[in-house]
Amino acid sequence: MHAIEMRRIVKQFGDVVANDHVDFTAGAGEIHALLGENGAGKSTMMCMLSGVYRPTSGEILLRGEQVRIRSPKDAAKLGVGMVYQNFRLVATLTAAENIVLGERSSFWRGPNWMKNKQREIKGLAEKFGLAFPVDRPIWQLSVGEQQRVEIVKTLYRGAQFIILDEPTSVLTPGEADQLFETLRTMRAEGKTVIVTTHKLKEVMAVADRISVMRKGKMIHTIDKKDTNERELARLMVGKEVVAQRDLPARTPGRTLLEVNRLEVAAEHGRKALDGLSLSIRAGEIVGIAGVAGNGQKELAEVLTGLIPWRRGQIEFDGKPLRNASVRGAIEAGISHVPENRMKSGLAGSLGLVDNLLFKSYRSADRARLGFLRIGRNKAWGQRLVEEFDVRTPGIDTPVQQLSGGNQQKLLFAREIHHDPKLMVAVHPTQGLDVGATEGVHRLLAKLRAEDKSVLLISEDLDEVMQLSDRILVIFGGRIVAELGRGEADREIIGMYMAGLHGAEEEAI
Amino acid sequence: MKKIKSTWSASLVFVVMMVLVLSGCGNSNNGESAGSSASSSESPSASTSASAAPSPSASASPSAAASGDGIANPRVAFVYIGPPGDGGWTFQHDQGVKYMEKELGIKADTVENVPESADAERIITELAQNHDIIFTTSFGYMDYTLNVAKKFPNVKFEHAGGYKTNDNMATYFGKNWEASYLSGIAAGKMTKKNHLGYVAAFPIPELIYNINAFTLGAQSVNKDVKVDVVWTNTWFDPTTERNAAMSLLDKGADVLMAYQDSPASLQAAAEKGAMAGGNDSDMTRYAPKAYLTNPIWNWGPYYVKKVKALMDGTWTNDQYLGSFTDGMVDIAPIGESVPDDVKKLVEDQKAKFLAGDDNIYSGPILDQSGAEKIPSGKSLTDAEILEMNWFVQGVEGTIPQ
Amino acid sequence: MSKIQAASALPLEPAEAPRRRRFSYRIEIDPSGTRNPWWITPLSILLALVLCGIFIAANGMNPMTVYAKMIKGAFGSSFGITETLVKAIPLLLCGIGVAIAYRISVWNIGAEGQFLVGAVAATAVTIWFPALPIYGTIPLMVVFAIAAGGIWGLLTAIPRTYFQVNELVTSLMLNYVAILLLDYFVFGPWKDPKGFNFPGTPMFNDAQTLPALGDTRLHFGLVFAIVAVVLYGLLVKYTKWGYELRLIGANPEAAKNAGIPIKRHILLVMLISGGLAGLAGMAEVSGVSHRLMYGISPGYGYTAIIVAWLAKLNPIGLVVSAVLFGGLIVGGYSVQTIGLPSSISNMIQGAILFFLIAGGMFGKFRLRRNA
Repeated sequence: MHAIEMRRIVKQFGDVVANDHVDFTAGAGEIHALLGENGAGKSTMMCMLSGVYRPTSGEILLRGEQVRIRSPKDAAKLGVGMVYQNFRLVATLTAAENIVLGERSSFWRGPNWMKNKQREIKGLAEKFGLAFPVDRPIWQLSVGEQQRVEIVKTLYRGAQFIILDEPTSVLTPGEADQLFETLRTMRAEGKTVIVTTHKLKEVMAVADRISVMRKGKMIHTIDKKDTNERELARLMVGKEVVAQRDLPARTPGRTLLEVNRLEVAAEHGRKALDGLSLSIRAGEIVGIAGVAGNGQKELAEVLTGLIPWRRGQIEFDGKPLRNASVRGAIEAGISHVPENRMKSGLAGSLGLVDNLLFKSYRSADRARLGFLRIGRNKAWGQRLVEEFDVRTPGIDTPVQQLSGGNQQKLLFAREIHHDPKLMVAVHPTQGLDVGATEGVHRLLAKLRAEDKSVLLISEDLDEVMQLSDRILVIFGGRIVAELGRGEADREIIGMYMAGLHGAEEEAI
Repeated sequence: MKKIKSTWSASLVFVVMMVLVLSGCGNSNNGESAGSSASSSESPSASTSASAAPSPSASASPSAAASGDGIANPRVAFVYIGPPGDGGWTFQHDQGVKYMEKELGIKADTVENVPESADAERIITELAQNHDIIFTTSFGYMDYTLNVAKKFPNVKFEHAGGYKTNDNMATYFGKNWEASYLSGIAAGKMTKKNHLGYVAAFPIPELIYNINAFTLGAQSVNKDVKVDVVWTNTWFDPTTERNAAMSLLDKGADVLMAYQDSPASLQAAAEKGAMAGGNDSDMTRYAPKAYLTNPIWNWGPYYVKKVKALMDGTWTNDQYLGSFTDGMVDIAPIGESVPDDVKKLVEDQKAKFLAGDDNIYSGPILDQSGAEKIPSGKSLTDAEILEMNWFVQGVEGTIPQ
Repeated sequence: MSKIQAASALPLEPAEAPRRRRFSYRIEIDPSGTRNPWWITPLSILLALVLCGIFIAANGMNPMTVYAKMIKGAFGSSFGITETLVKAIPLLLCGIGVAIAYRISVWNIGAEGQFLVGAVAATAVTIWFPALPIYGTIPLMVVFAIAAGGIWGLLTAIPRTYFQVNELVTSLMLNYVAILLLDYFVFGPWKDPKGFNFPGTPMFNDAQTLPALGDTRLHFGLVFAIVAVVLYGLLVKYTKWGYELRLIGANPEAAKNAGIPIKRHILLVMLISGGLAGLAGMAEVSGVSHRLMYGISPGYGYTAIIVAWLAKLNPIGLVVSAVLFGGLIVGGYSVQTIGLPSSISNMIQGAILFFLIAGGMFGKFRLRRNA
């Protein structure tokens, strides 16, 4: 009998299948790692266990009995507790108040009630090695301490099955080690611990058994002692061969962008980019492959002037790039397709023309003596909309009413129109359907044909492999590998993405 | 596009309102044009100096002739600073208006809660367009009343408490310091700690001569008494008044007087077991046990007299100063906790005022620094009292300069 | 900053959960309010009038007479119209001021304080330079008032931009500081020595007074207000700077991507916002009260927030709602002269306001069928 058993689980969101007949089991007194890339379907599986989602089909058994988990409340009653990636704590309440929140008790609690509770919570926390100040408001606690509050909250409510969703993504290495100690204590108590992650090293450090998911399917479940990081990486990225896009061969031109030993600070004194170097030549598409959170976002932001860098140089088109100047980047000829188009690329409540003007409104063509040339800009906008085939009810329609594909087309129209030398495109096809994705790919290929360069940052390894002349693999804020268009191989890339190469590989 | 459309629709509503209006406003247009054409013949000699001696009506020599032809059915308006339900100043005026209405069988219009700001000028102007006489019942209306009076020479204006007049603008007030002196006698007898408190509105002469009179009255029966003054800078704000009263009680005062429009100080004193008086009207009902007494106003007879004068064509622009003699000034029934011997003291002094032969501001009187302000054998004239700007010895507090 | 999130905001990889199908209807909020149907405003006013009509009838008067009087008082004569405009001037100037701040989501509720310091600064000119001719005094008063209001605005903007201090709190607190500042001057050093201690400065002389139209109280401040609203209209619609404000207001994150220095814009906008309210203060002392005195503003700065809000920050709308509110105040006192207690006239004002705002709110929400 398994402590947790999930059978033939299917979860559909509209037309998208997030989990496709997944089987999953975990035992008592076990730390079970659920491994997979972003979007593999790990979190969805766990959300069904904790009652946030209900499966489209399939069944869930706890301690051998079939259960129906319809809400997080049901889950809590059955002893399932989940620590989410984004904590659910009330910032102004104290740690102890957060933990007892929602607890049933008599209306009159008496003066010592909270004190007793605090003592109880403190004892529980200490037992599992989770020290934090119980009487301080949450906003005064560090992220690591907040996570401990979340964990103690599940323990306090008597959880036997504890799920942690990407628990180390917010932790420093030291804090992560402490967390692993806690997990081991829980295991010793006979609890079932499930950790979702995409970090191979952690899996090997803490897990007893490992399940690997890819693209909504369960690939394999294996004991830790029977495997190694190399095999897990292979399982994680898969082996399918992707049809490469047929890009005409070109001899790359002069060097356009030269980044030298770039260092960018992140929160908590860590470095987001740690001595990163790369170069891009005119007329090539360079793809950046890597697991999320290894510095991709910062690389894009530093190149487009949104954040400053601390050390190193960036030379663009023969001149040094101004540090942290968006206008400097725009004027130098770097365009930007940001990660989340509605969050930072477009202004949803404004019309198409206003959104097209973002980068060019300062030019003499669009404005004179401080006044916008309204009629002219409208005609210009209309032309662009037609040229890029943006389907819209009208030129003044708020862009939030357009479909995702049309929004992205509009964004590309703007970014391409201002005649960039380099386009930094971050997840440019995220959330788009097949047709729109194809359109975006065609636009990128067209840029390349016009002797312009593209830095393509994408979590979709297939996309990177299809389009890139060269693939750079980013890990821990550095470029750890460079592969030519011919030599790209999922397995090798996957290995580098997981941080396994050279000396470290032997060390395992 | 829709944005434009919605504002457009708002303007449409506006236009409709305008049309509605213009279809029925002939009257007020006429009034308006009459007012503005008349204002060109504005009288140049408004006697506005404060030193122009205000004097009791009996001896007044009006600077303008009586207004000639009478008006059989005068349209009368009153401007109030507060609501008639304030239980004080405006309440007494409203009582006076009711008395006048009954006596003369006419109906007056009133506008309440008019701030002493530029709004007042608009309201007085509006009233001037279709009334024959307008009473503005607060000191702060003075300049606005004068401005409007200059624009509407055919309308009579009566301003309470001020010192500026015009050919068609009179002032009226009363010697309420005499009543303050009486309440001072009662307070001086009732205090056990020889410590009185005074909750005062604004540091204007009206307050200063009343505080002085109260102090002199108390000292006449208890020479060790001192009077603590707190300014509230408001006529009517029960919260502020209450806080001021509480601060005085906390400092040790055991009898309070509040020159304010609400009974908040009296109620505060009652809670703390102290005694207090208010102002303007009989406040016994708010706290019978704790009530001392206080000066009260009785405006009715004056209103009757002036409106009647307008009807007869004998209206003059006096600076009228009422007193115990004509009943404009009086003292509220003395509280039930005050013993009879004290009541007798008060009654005796009141009899002197009624006879009209006692001036409380007769020397020797010292100011706070001990300097002799009024030498022995000298008395202040009413005009001098009305612009008093110093405290007598025994008052603890400062006049902000 | 609460970490509690709705279930739909779960940390999910986007490909996994594009949408949920739990409810077949949802309520959507459109904060820009641009899709408000046109009939909301007239309907709100009508509802308010019907409701108040019941109360007036219960008070023994004919509602139609009262309403006719109210409209007549505010708009029915040249006197009423000029008085309504006199009230509309400060409302419009302050309204433009707050509107420009609201365009970039800076919630300035300190127009009242900015108005007051503007009035104080304009009065300072009359105290310090009493003998200047009108062509020197008035421009100097304008400059002083705008500068003072602008600085008062910056006192809110600087903590907001550099220390992330909530501008709602600071701008509100500064209103009280401004009131105390004004009180200090009128009760203290600037008190009219001939005023028998009444809290006010001496009356301004003719050179310190804004010229008025003929015999009315309608003063030159109207020109300030008209110029300001025209400039505002041009600015927000037709200029590069207005475009930048539009962008910041619509999506600050995107504006950053377009290379717009948001902090600098916040500072400048608050300078202008405060400056306009300060100008309103100057116009009020120099044009209407002709002296600085205790209680100079009956809350223009607060009413201006509602004016701007009702106008949806639109320049034409600002003019309409400022005049409407001016009329509401004037007409409200006017109905008292036919014997309506002031509480009822206050209620009419309140009810119209309430229904307008509720109507605006209502228009912001949409019931939508889930796709």
